[in-house]
Amino acid sequence: MSKERHKHILSFSITSLLRRKGKNLSIFLIYTLMVFLLGSVVFFVSAIKREAATTLKGAPDIVVQQIRAGRHDLIPTEYMEKVRTIRGVTKVIPRVWGYYFDGPTQSNYTIIGMDGESYEAFRDRIPFLSPEEAPIGNGKVLIGKGIARSRGLKRGGHFYLLRSDGGLKTFEVSGIFSGRSSLLTHDLIVMSEKDVRELFLIPARYSIDLAVYVRNKEEIETIARKIGEVLPGTRAVIKEQITKSYETVFGWRSGLVFTALLGTVLAFAILSWDKATGLSADERKEIGILKALGWRIEDILEMKFWEGLTISLTAFLAGIILAYIHIFFFGSYLVAPAIKGWSVLYPPFNLNPYMDAGEVFMVFFITVVPYTVATLIPVWRSSTIDPDEVIRGI
Amino acid sequence: MIELKDVTKVYYKGTPKEVKAVDGISLEIAKGEMVVLKGPSGSGKTTLLTLIGCLSRPTRGRVLVAGKDTSRLQEPFLTFHRRMHVGFVFQQYHLIPDISVYENILLPLYPLDMTSQEMEERVEDALRKLRIKGKEAYRAKDLSGGEQQRVAIARALVTDPEIILADEPTANLDTHLSRDFLKIMDGLKEEGKTIVIASHDPLVYEHKGVDRVIEMRDGRLVGCS
Repeated sequence: MSKERHKHILSFSITSLLRRKGKNLSIFLIYTLMVFLLGSVVFFVSAIKREAATTLKGAPDIVVQQIRAGRHDLIPTEYMEKVRTIRGVTKVIPRVWGYYFDGPTQSNYTIIGMDGESYEAFRDRIPFLSPEEAPIGNGKVLIGKGIARSRGLKRGGHFYLLRSDGGLKTFEVSGIFSGRSSLLTHDLIVMSEKDVRELFLIPARYSIDLAVYVRNKEEIETIARKIGEVLPGTRAVIKEQITKSYETVFGWRSGLVFTALLGTVLAFAILSWDKATGLSADERKEIGILKALGWRIEDILEMKFWEGLTISLTAFLAGIILAYIHIFFFGSYLVAPAIKGWSVLYPPFNLNPYMDAGEVFMVFFITVVPYTVATLIPVWRSSTIDPDEVIRGI
Repeated sequence: MIELKDVTKVYYKGTPKEVKAVDGISLEIAKGEMVVLKGPSGSGKTTLLTLIGCLSRPTRGRVLVAGKDTSRLQEPFLTFHRRMHVGFVFQQYHLIPDISVYENILLPLYPLDMTSQEMEERVEDALRKLRIKGKEAYRAKDLSGGEQQRVAIARALVTDPEIILADEPTANLDTHLSRDFLKIMDGLKEEGKTIVIASHDPLVYEHKGVDRVIEMRDGRLVGCS
C-alpha cells in the first residue's frame, strides 16, 4: 500500500510544479544554461584529449632530431644504422615533413612525406580513407578538409605550392580526408617522400627526423638515453613527453576556461540557490496547511524532493543534450576558441562524439545534487515547526 | 473525549513580543458534544482550538485527546493523531487556491496509503454530503465564500475524524449561509462527532444544537452556559 502513498505524493508534486510555472521555468532555464556551459567544457576537453591520445597512439616511441645551434636541423639518414644497433630498437624510419605557409589563404599547412611502410601505417590510423581512392606519388596528394575548402579543391583537382627555391610545383588531389579526422588532418597534405624532398629541397641523405620504434615500452627512456650517447648533438623525444605536453596544454586551457566560467557559474548558482531555497509566504503557508491536514514531515520532504529532482534532472538532461549537440555537431562555437587557441587548424572543427560516464556524473554531482538538497533545507525547517505557527507566520 | 489541564500557551517566549494567548485553562468536552468557544478577538479561542487540534503544543499543562496526552507526543505521533482524529475548518478556509476542489478535498488522504478508488469514494461521499457536487473541477479560488467553506468542511470530514474543530466559521458568511453551516454541524453531531466551534457570532452560540458555550477573555475561561 505504501506504493500508493508515494504515487499520490508524486502526482501532487507534479501539480505543484505546474502551479508555479513562472518560478520553476526560470530555475529550469538558468540550470539548463549552467549545465550546458559546464557540460560543453567537459565534453570538449575530454573529446579533444581523446583525439590527441588516438593521434599519438600510432606515433613513434622516440623521435630523434638533429640540434644545431640550439635549433632543429636536418638529420643525416646514416644515423639510422647507429640507432638500429641499440638493443631493443625494432624499427627506425627517416621522416620528411614540414610546414608550409600559404599566403593567399593566410594559413599553415602540415606536409608529410610517406612511402611504402609509413603510408600503410598512416592509412591504418585513418581507416575511413580507402587506398583505392587515395594513391600518392608523382604529384598525387591527399589533403585535409580545411585545405580543400580554403582552396576550393575537389578530388581530381589541381593546385600549386611554392618550392623553397621559389619555383612552382603542381599537385593533383587524389583524396580528401573526412571531417571526422579533423584534429589530425584538417591542415594536412600527405604526399610521397620524393615530392616533399622536391618541395622543401631536402637533400637525399637527410631527413627531418628519425622515428624510432621500441620492442619493450619499459625501455623507451633507457633507449632514448642511449641514442643521446651514440649520437651526440641529437635530441631524443619520447612519446610520453609529447602526450604530457598535449595534456598540459589542454589541461591548462580548460582550467583557464573553467576559471573564466566560474564567475558566471557562481552567479547562476547564487541565483538558483536563492530561487530554490527561498520559500515564499504562500509556500510556507501551504506547508503548514499540509501538516495541519495530517501530512508527515517526510511526506512534505518527499513532495519537495520530487519537485526539486524533476526540475534539476530535466534541466540536467536538457543541458547535457544541448552541450553534446553543441560540441559534436555544431563545432563547439562557444568554447572551442577559448580552449583550442593554439591551433593552426582553421575552424570548423568537428570532434568525434564521445561521452565519458565519469565526467557526466561529475557534472550531475555538482549541479543536481546541491540543488535538490538546497530545496529541501527550507522545507525541512518549515515542516518541523508547529503548523499553527507556520500558517500564522509566527 | 477532550481534556485540557491547566493549559498555557505563550507565543514569542523570551522575546519583547512575548504574549500569553492561553492562560491556565482546564476544560473537558465529552464525546458527541457541540461546544462553542465564545469571546472577542484576541481572547485565545483560535489558540485553544489549535491546541485541541494538535496544531501546536502547550507551553505548560496537558492536552488529552481521545485518551492520549498529545502535549507529550513526539512530532510523528502528533501528526498521526491529528490525521486520525481531528478535522479542522480554518477561519480563512486555507484551501490551496490553484488546485481543484477535488484535489483540495483529496489532500488529507494522500498520506493514508489508500488506493485511488478508495480515495475517490471518500471524496465523492464528502462532495455529496456538503452539496458541492458539480463543483469538483473548479479551482478553489474561483468559488464563492460559502462554497469555499463547504470545501473546507468536506476536506475536514474526508478522513472521517471523531473531532471537528471550526474557527470562526461564519465570519465571512451571510445569515443564510451561516444557517446552512450550522445545519451541517447538526448533522455531524447526529453522527456522533464531537464539535468545537470558536465564534463570536450570536447566530452560532445561540444555535439550539449547541450543548455548551464557553466564554473566554484574555486567554482565560470566564464563563460557561
